[in-house]
Amino acid sequence: MKLRIAGTVNDSIVDGPGIRFSIFVQGCPHNCKGCHNPQTHDFNGGKIVDTDELLDMIKGNPLLDGVTFSGGEPFCQAEALAYLGKEIKKLDLNIVTFTGFTFEKLYDDRSKEHWGDLLGVTDFLIDGPFILEQKDWEIKFRGSSNQRYIDCQKSLQAGRAVETEP
Amino acid sequence: MIIHIIKRDGRKVPFNIEKIANAIFKAAQARGGTDFNVAMDVAVEVCRLYEEQNPGKTPTVEEIQDLVEKTLIEKGHAQTAKAYILYRYERTRSREMKTNLMCVLNELTFSPAKDSDIKRENANIDGDTAMGTMLKYGSVSAKEYYEMYVLEPAHAKAHREGDIHIHDLDFYTLTTTCTQIDLKKLFTNGFSTGHGFLREPNDIASYSALACIAIQSNQNDQHGGQSIPTFDYAMADGVKKTYASRYFQNVARALSLIAGVENEFEAVDEIKKEINEKYDLKPTLENANGYKEKEMELLLKYTDKETAEKIQDFATRNAEKETDRATYQAMEALIHNLNTMNSRAGAQTPFSSINYGTDTSPEGRMVIKNVLLAQEAGLGNGETPIFPIHIFKIKEGINYNPTDPNYDLFKLACRVSAKRLFPNFSFIDAPYNLQYYKEGNPDTEIAYMGCRTRVIGNNYDPTREIVTGRGNLSFTSINLPRLAIKADHNVGLFFEMLEEKVELVIDQLMHRFNIQSQKRVRNYPFLMGQGIWIDSDKLAPDDTVGEVLKHGTLSVGFIGLAETLKALIGAHHGESDEARELGLEIVSAMRKRLDEESKRTGLNFSLLATPAEGLSGRFVRMDAKKYGIIEGVTDRDYYTNSFHVPVYYPISAFEKIKIEAPYHELTNAGHISYIELDGDPLENLSAFEKIVRCMKESGIGYGAINHPVDRDPCCGYTGIIGETCPCCGRKEHSNNVAFDRIRRITGYLVGTLDRFNNGKRAEEHDRVKHSI
Repeated sequence: MKLRIAGTVNDSIVDGPGIRFSIFVQGCPHNCKGCHNPQTHDFNGGKIVDTDELLDMIKGNPLLDGVTFSGGEPFCQAEALAYLGKEIKKLDLNIVTFTGFTFEKLYDDRSKEHWGDLLGVTDFLIDGPFILEQKDWEIKFRGSSNQRYIDCQKSLQAGRAVETEP
Repeated sequence: MIIHIIKRDGRKVPFNIEKIANAIFKAAQARGGTDFNVAMDVAVEVCRLYEEQNPGKTPTVEEIQDLVEKTLIEKGHAQTAKAYILYRYERTRSREMKTNLMCVLNELTFSPAKDSDIKRENANIDGDTAMGTMLKYGSVSAKEYYEMYVLEPAHAKAHREGDIHIHDLDFYTLTTTCTQIDLKKLFTNGFSTGHGFLREPNDIASYSALACIAIQSNQNDQHGGQSIPTFDYAMADGVKKTYASRYFQNVARALSLIAGVENEFEAVDEIKKEINEKYDLKPTLENANGYKEKEMELLLKYTDKETAEKIQDFATRNAEKETDRATYQAMEALIHNLNTMNSRAGAQTPFSSINYGTDTSPEGRMVIKNVLLAQEAGLGNGETPIFPIHIFKIKEGINYNPTDPNYDLFKLACRVSAKRLFPNFSFIDAPYNLQYYKEGNPDTEIAYMGCRTRVIGNNYDPTREIVTGRGNLSFTSINLPRLAIKADHNVGLFFEMLEEKVELVIDQLMHRFNIQSQKRVRNYPFLMGQGIWIDSDKLAPDDTVGEVLKHGTLSVGFIGLAETLKALIGAHHGESDEARELGLEIVSAMRKRLDEESKRTGLNFSLLATPAEGLSGRFVRMDAKKYGIIEGVTDRDYYTNSFHVPVYYPISAFEKIKIEAPYHELTNAGHISYIELDGDPLENLSAFEKIVRCMKESGIGYGAINHPVDRDPCCGYTGIIGETCPCCGRKEHSNNVAFDRIRRITGYLVGTLDRFNNGKRAEEHDRVKHSI
């Protein structure tokens, strides 16, 4: 499937636990003040790649612990990412998904736009918009203290956000 | 009529024909000539010729001299012409010597280090200080002298023109590079530093203090690094002594307090003496040698069993706690000392390295734990220590797997390295290291010296393939990219030229070795006088050291394999399989030749992946000037280190490790691979450990992980700092205080970018992190 991305980073150690392949999707509706990646906001920017191409790059790095979907807003391209996520799971890698939405919003609307499918392949969800006033450099993998590190599968079972420690 | 002449410095001065005639006459006199008029006739003829050929022009000194030579030959004064040419050459040489040397001394004296590349040639010397400048005066003068009068002309030419680089040329006739110091041997029965005798140390604090003194003293006898290859084993003896004495003190205290014994110290001395004499036992951390049972019998003379048990329990607990604390303080002192004590004319701290990680005794483990914790804590204000280089040795069955006895210390080593860049990691299980390993003999565990030097195999004496007491004698590097540029895509021709160059370097190393061999024990009062170097304890002060030096290595290095491959086939080994194969072929060819030479001579010739601090910029500057800017070859300010995949090339950590690992096996004089990480690995230790494990599994011998270590001196925050300190929000240069940015330069940490030379600055700037 086709995916619009801003770029990828191999061997990332800052986008989740262990060594990761990070995919920064292109296009974001949130417009958070102080965003770290403002160049990823434009839905017409970046470039279009095939998910198989990404999969090959992931397979080429045996050091990986997992893959991170970041952006941009991954839930704006949930269908392609959910598809890619299923393939990634077959490689025994975990998936961290960053989102500017809250888990509650995504869960309530899980039947639309394949949001439920993307939640279904996500192991850890880092949710909520970046809020400049709550910027905190001490919390792992997150930018502001409102953002949560959520065990996605447990949360789906419980029907509410279950936080965990990265 | 010539009125003026232009001198070499560009000044126009009145022309005086007598001066020309005088010079000619001097040459003629040297060959038995006596008639000044003949000389004057030649001078007149020269003037006439010049005016005829260059009407109205003012001549330069060189032009006139050229004409004199020509005229002398044409007029049949061949002998005088020869003498004149020689005279001219001598004058040129001595003038060059004066001007070169004086220019350099002038630069050293009046340019601040930030503007002078010579002053920053070595990032470890502060070229702005009096002693640093003095050291440079000596160094540049020595280099000039050796080039002019000591080196074989072919070697001097190759060095001067940048075909090869003779490292530490300023020490050419003086000493050897480095040594792996056997502290255990040195401490047994004490040693002397030249102004007094030091007794065998008796507790961990003096063990660590004497370790520093040994490093400092030996550094004064050598120009390279000083390494302790079995640091944990050596220090463990000190811990053992400290534990025993703390235990006795605590028994004495307890005897006095709860058993009411009055002469408690005498009582303890008696007990100690008796058990020692009868059973040769001392209290130990492990507490399994039966000492306590024997002690119990004797304690019963002073008190009842219940109280005696209490006393032993109290003494055991407190002795362990106090020993642990004392060991930490001793390690802290060692790190502080090695960052402050000066050596080499007072301008440099010694280049020190310590290897540890494999001693599984409780004492050894206590040493390893505490030296790591002291490194983690940093210096007085939490700064990252620059020295010593810590090297954590990894071995399956000892510290690699979760069930291994020192696995906890490996985890700790990862944590400390993630914060402080050290320790680096060495891998005993790599087959070419494992072949020397004998269980239970720490001297056979591979050790590395700071900048990557490795000395273990011993062709001179195969019964002593050990690390201790040995080191490198000298090394010289080949400018590989130049050969590739000259070969002009002809791989066969490249190999021919490489072979020639290796021959030249072997020849030069032997020339230097022969000079080194003439030195006597008294030239190295510590290295040889105190028996640091293997077998030197069998020599008298006036004996020459040639024979024992044969245990050392003579190494041929190389730089810029990546640029070489680019020049030869258009791709480097990060880019194509073909380049990967050719790269291995090139390095194997050098290694093969050196193995043959070792076999032929009975000496230890070895191949080095050159660290190349001053060199990375020097070669490329010369080549760019000579051959122009060639894409991927001379278009940067540095040549890539040894066999490394270029730092500017984006590649995954896994691939970089896989590509570089086979070169570790080939470069038996030393090697290191680096992985660059962006982000703070302290927040992600599993990623850090995984990379170390990948190095081990891939056959890397010695590796390290680079990551930014920044520090805000105002608030003390250590981590990654961009423009703004994330802790206190301060901007760089506000309050006129810049952030400290610690980076690794050819193996050594450097506190600020100011001391990097130009080539290294550019290299640091270009490094691609294997992550964002």
